[in-house]
Amino acid sequence: MKPRTPRAIALVAIAAVLIVGGGAYALAASGASGSSGGSISAGAARTTFPGLVAPSGQPELESIGKAHPRPGEVVQAAGPFDDRFLLENLAFDGAAVSGAVRVTSDVSAVLDLEVVAGFYDDTGALLGTGRFVHHLVDDGSHSVAPEELVTFTIAVPSGIAVPAVSVALGVPVLVNE
Amino acid sequence: MRRRISVLASTTVVAALLATAVVTAGTVSSASADDDKGRAKNVIYLLGDGMGRTHVTAARERYYGASGKLTMETLPAQGYVSTYAVEKGSGQPGEADFRPNAVTDSASAATAWSSGVKTYNAALGVDAKGAVVPTMMELAKKSGYRTGNVSTAEVTDATPAGQMSHALARGCQGPVYSDAACQDITVTGAALPTSDVRVTPIADQIARNGTADVILGGGLGRFDAADETALKGHGYSVLGSIATQTTATKTDLAAAAGQKVFGLFNKGNLTIEKSKSERPTSAEAQEPSLPEMTSKAIELLSQKKAEGEKSDKGKGFYLQVEGALIDKRSHANDAAQTLAEVKAFDDAVAIAQDFAKRDGNTLVIVTADHECAGFNIIEKGTFTNAEAATPPANTDSGNTANNSTPSRPSNARDAARSTGIINGAGAADPKNFGPATFRTPTDPAGVVDGSPEAGLWLSYLSGNHTGADVPVYAAGPGADQLQGTVDNIALFGIVGRALRVIG
Ligand SMILES: [Zn+2]
Repeated sequence: MKPRTPRAIALVAIAAVLIVGGGAYALAASGASGSSGGSISAGAARTTFPGLVAPSGQPELESIGKAHPRPGEVVQAAGPFDDRFLLENLAFDGAAVSGAVRVTSDVSAVLDLEVVAGFYDDTGALLGTGRFVHHLVDDGSHSVAPEELVTFTIAVPSGIAVPAVSVALGVPVLVNE
Repeated sequence: MRRRISVLASTTVVAALLATAVVTAGTVSSASADDDKGRAKNVIYLLGDGMGRTHVTAARERYYGASGKLTMETLPAQGYVSTYAVEKGSGQPGEADFRPNAVTDSASAATAWSSGVKTYNAALGVDAKGAVVPTMMELAKKSGYRTGNVSTAEVTDATPAGQMSHALARGCQGPVYSDAACQDITVTGAALPTSDVRVTPIADQIARNGTADVILGGGLGRFDAADETALKGHGYSVLGSIATQTTATKTDLAAAAGQKVFGLFNKGNLTIEKSKSERPTSAEAQEPSLPEMTSKAIELLSQKKAEGEKSDKGKGFYLQVEGALIDKRSHANDAAQTLAEVKAFDDAVAIAQDFAKRDGNTLVIVTADHECAGFNIIEKGTFTNAEAATPPANTDSGNTANNSTPSRPSNARDAARSTGIINGAGAADPKNFGPATFRTPTDPAGVVDGSPEAGLWLSYLSGNHTGADVPVYAAGPGADQLQGTVDNIALFGIVGRALRVIG
């Protein structure tokens, strides 16, 4: 599920060298000794994870690569949160797919949501992907729209030689409060 | 689209961050024999998410009657906690660039008591300028305590995550990284390299940092097979299966043993108590309750002798317990569900307090992170502003010197927005702002929930958090410091000094 590339490994190595070279294994508190009182043990914060390769690229779903929808179909591709939402009002006009994600679990605000769309040719072969990204910036101006319903439109990526005739949609990122 | 970070650019970013984020570290405390005198051996810190003063009163009246008491209310030290957050980039209280925000979210509040700093809403384990701050659970672990983190939410959600992760944005929960969910260039100026802990998905951090020995709650969907391998590599017994997304059950929990246990009982948040009691044969009813998880966590953490441990004398433990669904069901303005969750939380308090009494050297703190939804007890038969056509009258025709501006002659119920008791006659109307009513133990026989005769009338102001102070109750060594009003960042110092992990 976590995309890994050589570039990401290079980044990890450089970051590690800099952190060790800078003489600081863990970053310590600045304000913690203020009004809360007391001095803080440095180095207690766990900030490095040996063996965890830093991700690169956007979140993808394996199921998009495995889907082979028939011409005219807009299907759902499996993801980790399929029990938390419904896809509604799906429509595809050849240029873009649109619809809505209705979050069905514990919603007061949808903090983060990403919808990945795979576009396929008439043999069901994947031509390319597009994505919709929602991130709630809590600036105090709450939406007048229902919190649990997020509408999206995802265009067929440019540069695809043959027409896209079907779509698979999946949700790799979903956080609601 | 994803920002392409070149190797050169990321080098600059990391170097710049080190320059700004590393500050002088305090003294590392080492517990000598003298220091140990008066030390609390264990701290159990319980919080009802979104549980304001009225949540406590209403639950007391519903379940124990007006003259009864919840267990939390029987603890000897009682006070209030102020909960405000700060804006992104703000300094700490007293600093020139201090910019408060009156209403906190669960992330900022958790960071306040976990790390002793004010931070912006959505931040976890970082201050308002984005610098990593160590958490009480990390400090306790490093000092040799056993540690536990229990919640009815996903364990990657803000409250549990506040003790065992460092993230710019609470939405960076996993299983995968995403720029939008994890980065915050308002705080950091430029995107951080994805190797930086502050943009590492919280599930990945929890599975690899070993901060909590016992982790019980929800959120299996946030973890993946690589996380399971990492957890097992760190010596955890993983209940159920992450790789196959098989949730653990209360039977699995009952059988769990060992020093390190990781059990998630739902792919998302755990299920509300009201639903489980109404559907006892459902899969959700196989989830343990908060009291059951609390009891098991205490059992695991207080084991006299760990396998392979030479001494019988463990140093003690630090356990955080969250009743998360009080908040989530308050957002939903469902008083019946909310109060059942407060009751379950209070039952967990009773288990903690029973242990503390037997142990004799355990500090128990019961509080909340913030109030949620402006919960109120209204007088039987009255109505709220949300149900009114006009606000309350403010004209004094007897002495016009008392008149207000603008002047309003009357306060009338709006028949369109007040269509009956919401858990009774008005239940079918989704636009109804009517109150919920509940039978109390002293009501006459035959009085039922949702009736106008019921003694407890409850209403909500909104579906969002409020800035009201929250109650705190405490017992055990150091509890006297919670008598009165404290700010939420002071809770860090109180716990830290009780455990002697800060000087
Ligand atoms: Zn909330």
